[in-house]
Amino acid sequence: MPPDRHATYAPGDRVRILDLGKPGHVRTPIYVRNKVGVIDHYCGRFENPEERAYGRVGRARIPLYRVRLKQRDLWPDYEGAAGDTLVLEIYDHWLRPA
Amino acid sequence: MSERLLTDIGGLPAGEVPRQEAPPLFWQRHMLAMFNVLWGKGVLNLDEYRRTMEEMSPDAYNKSTFYGRRLDGMISLLVEKGLIDRAELAARTEDILRKGTRDHAA
Repeated sequence: MPPDRHATYAPGDRVRILDLGKPGHVRTPIYVRNKVGVIDHYCGRFENPEERAYGRVGRARIPLYRVRLKQRDLWPDYEGAAGDTLVLEIYDHWLRPA
Repeated sequence: MSERLLTDIGGLPAGEVPRQEAPPLFWQRHMLAMFNVLWGKGVLNLDEYRRTMEEMSPDAYNKSTFYGRRLDGMISLLVEKGLIDRAELAARTEDILRKGTRDHAA
């Protein structure tokens, strides 16, 4: 069950981080695009920085999640422990179920 | 594949990271205070400021500094919003430099 009526995903859901190919002030780093992770935490809803960056404030608030990824999935030459993970915040429209 | 933003450097070789303390200068404190007032009053927001950095040329970005980028970004946004005028700012700066003082109360 998603944590509130606005949330698409619930903790534990597997998601793929999209590459929307969108120009401008986007907050999804290149190195996590097209990677699969797990929803760790629902942060609530926030205005979209992609809009705010151009002075468009006070618009719709969209769900934000912390997504947990395996370091070994991100870096082919990663030498740390197999269980090492990275958590970062990704907005709803950059995710789809995986 | 999307184009990488200037600031999207996760995973790239970083080189040496300097660790020494660099206490802020007077103008840097002054400028940050001004930035924070503008931010607090909703005149500008952090996403807009970050966007101004991302719009810099890689060369200009790398030659600048934390405080330099903050100052240039703040000026760009105030000009963009029609609150200050670049020519007026340049004339005022020139005037202060000519008088050799930062006492511009008069």
